[in-house]
Amino acid sequence: MRSVLRFVVLFPAVFCLAHPSHGAEALKLRPAASAYSDSDGKPLKNPEGVAYDGKSLLAVADTGNGKIALYAIQGEGLKPHASFALPQLTYPIRVQFDPQGGILALDGKTRKIVRLTLAGEFRGYLDPSGIPTPGTVVPRSFRIDGKGNIHVLDVFSGRVLVLDPSGKFQREIPFPREHGFFSDLAVDGNGTVFLVDSVGGRVFSARGNAKEIAPFSESLQEDLNFPVGIAVDGRGRIYLSDQNGGGIVILGPDGSFRGRQSGMGWKDGLLRYPSALHVSDSGTLFIADRGNNRVQLFTIIQ
Amino acid sequence: MRLRHRIVLLLLGLAVLSSGSLALSQDQFRLKPGAKGKVCLTCHTAFQEKMKLPFVHTPVKAGNCSDCHNPHTSSHGKLLADDPSRICRKCHDGILPGKAKSVHKAVGEGNCVKCHDPHAAKFKNNLLQDGNSLCFNCHKGIAEGVKGARFKHNPVEKGCLSCHKAHASEGADFLLKAGVPSLCTSCHRTDGPSFAKQHVNYPVARSRCTSCHDPHGSSQAGILWQNVHSPVAKKMCSQCHPDPGSPDALKAKRPGFELCRGCHSDMMNETFGRNRIHWPLVDHVSCQNCHAPHASRQDALLRGPMKTVCNSCHQDVARRQETSVTKHKPIEGGECTKCHRPHSSDLVSLLDNTNVINLCGSCHEWMKHSSHPIGDNVVDQRNRNLSLDCLSCHRSHGSEFKDFTYFNAKMDLCVQCHTGFKR
Repeated sequence: MRSVLRFVVLFPAVFCLAHPSHGAEALKLRPAASAYSDSDGKPLKNPEGVAYDGKSLLAVADTGNGKIALYAIQGEGLKPHASFALPQLTYPIRVQFDPQGGILALDGKTRKIVRLTLAGEFRGYLDPSGIPTPGTVVPRSFRIDGKGNIHVLDVFSGRVLVLDPSGKFQREIPFPREHGFFSDLAVDGNGTVFLVDSVGGRVFSARGNAKEIAPFSESLQEDLNFPVGIAVDGRGRIYLSDQNGGGIVILGPDGSFRGRQSGMGWKDGLLRYPSALHVSDSGTLFIADRGNNRVQLFTIIQ
Repeated sequence: MRLRHRIVLLLLGLAVLSSGSLALSQDQFRLKPGAKGKVCLTCHTAFQEKMKLPFVHTPVKAGNCSDCHNPHTSSHGKLLADDPSRICRKCHDGILPGKAKSVHKAVGEGNCVKCHDPHAAKFKNNLLQDGNSLCFNCHKGIAEGVKGARFKHNPVEKGCLSCHKAHASEGADFLLKAGVPSLCTSCHRTDGPSFAKQHVNYPVARSRCTSCHDPHGSSQAGILWQNVHSPVAKKMCSQCHPDPGSPDALKAKRPGFELCRGCHSDMMNETFGRNRIHWPLVDHVSCQNCHAPHASRQDALLRGPMKTVCNSCHQDVARRQETSVTKHKPIEGGECTKCHRPHSSDLVSLLDNTNVINLCGSCHEWMKHSSHPIGDNVVDQRNRNLSLDCLSCHRSHGSEFKDFTYFNAKMDLCVQCHTGFKR
């Protein structure tokens, strides 16, 4: 009888440990805070980009208002810090903090990446140099890694461009032959690049110095509608914003489906046509809740 | 000798066994000796006439009605002995090759009676109709095209089966007997001066003929598709391609939209002048994601009907509409541009109007004067940064509720805001 009991208790435990998808911890997202207006008191309008500096500042691409809004993070709350509009950046759709100071933002209308100071002064455009042909670059999104290298999702030439902080060409990774349309990318601490295919509903990746981008996950079309944003946390977990489905899908470090959080709605904690997202090392997820004209923070609960 | 004897004996034994099992299957209903189909015909008298037709299905001819029907009970219509989608393949298993590249929809669904009469017919192979008329019953669009074409393609006149297989094709799409261009070049010589002249000396012998030509005939000379890109019609291929003698003669002169911008500059400038672009327009495939570069059956040289083109990427919208309780007519009819701009817009979702209420009102006119309070001044109780418009309650691409509301109208929709009435 004892041996039977031992088997009943031990087998599931051993099975769970042995199988990554069963042994994986369940993740939940708890709504923590929302930002509805900028430092001028103006309501946000269709924000599409978010970035966190890892310390205390959150930058938001307030797309519909043509502004960049900064927020100070205080505990789990957000306090409007500054906001600015530039004639060179009338339609910001992605934003990133530059580790050397300042901000980079992608303008959706001109499809140029703009450099600006934290005070909102224009510092010039990111001008990629030494790029192999074709020389035309159309960035759909970009990310800056821990070393300050800029990873540009160049949809025109079908590649990920890796540039040094000054914009000098480092290397390129061509898109795979079979894919739908890449809308966003993320880079983890090891330099692995992750791409989200909105049409195919799957994630692709290229490790460190890999020369090819390969499928990372299976098709997730059963679990999401049209993913447009991707982020990776320090543990290698992937977060996807499902624009048309209103939700966040989480994948494990092995690409396995780990769950779907939030849902389509208007109230705090729910999402409507969300766009870019960002995950901090301290376990906070920031998401541009485009259709709700706000930015939301979620605490990641293990 | 002994071995031969053994083989003969073995074959005889097998023959006896198989005939025995056949007899057993026929005798499972313990019919009177010699009865078989005759018993059925005592009631189904109309079949007497049917059996006089020139082509009678073998089991019918043999009177083995019970091969397909159970005379007592069945879970299937017409007392069939198995599911209608499976029953034919019990005997005709070889109809579908193991690795078919394309399968006739009716065959894939097991809907054999779309083309064949299971009992008897006037036409060979028990077909319901003869020649192309059978195919044109379903393929009406092609039928109209063939009928109206000024320039006929001879094999079409001879019969669809000149180029297509009826059930499945192992090697080609569209049930073709072979892929394009090898199917075409089995009739059309590509090494003669006429071919070179017609194609302005471009080395197109191995190109996909159907990127320019309508294989079913057309009213355009050279059976080009109905809508021809102007440079193709004028045989000015060098507007987009290098000279025919160039090693890259079939490549485009410039990548992506940069090529098209040369002629379509006004449209491009207008497109790029708006805040939001349809991103595929600026990717490495660019305009050709949606438009055929040479010729097309569709207006605006679209690669297919708008519904097909849009849904090829926006499959989630197609799925949503398919499962929606109430259908939104523009989506069902493939009129995506009723609400969205295909190239660019200043608005999210590439909408065609700054005001959602006016956009919906362009079809639903009554909304403007008789509705729940909506407009810029009516704040959404659920979110202070939003005002109420049609999309506050309706999910335009469809939902599981009537009138594609986000929530069950009776229980959950109104109390989203009118919380005091929540039960």
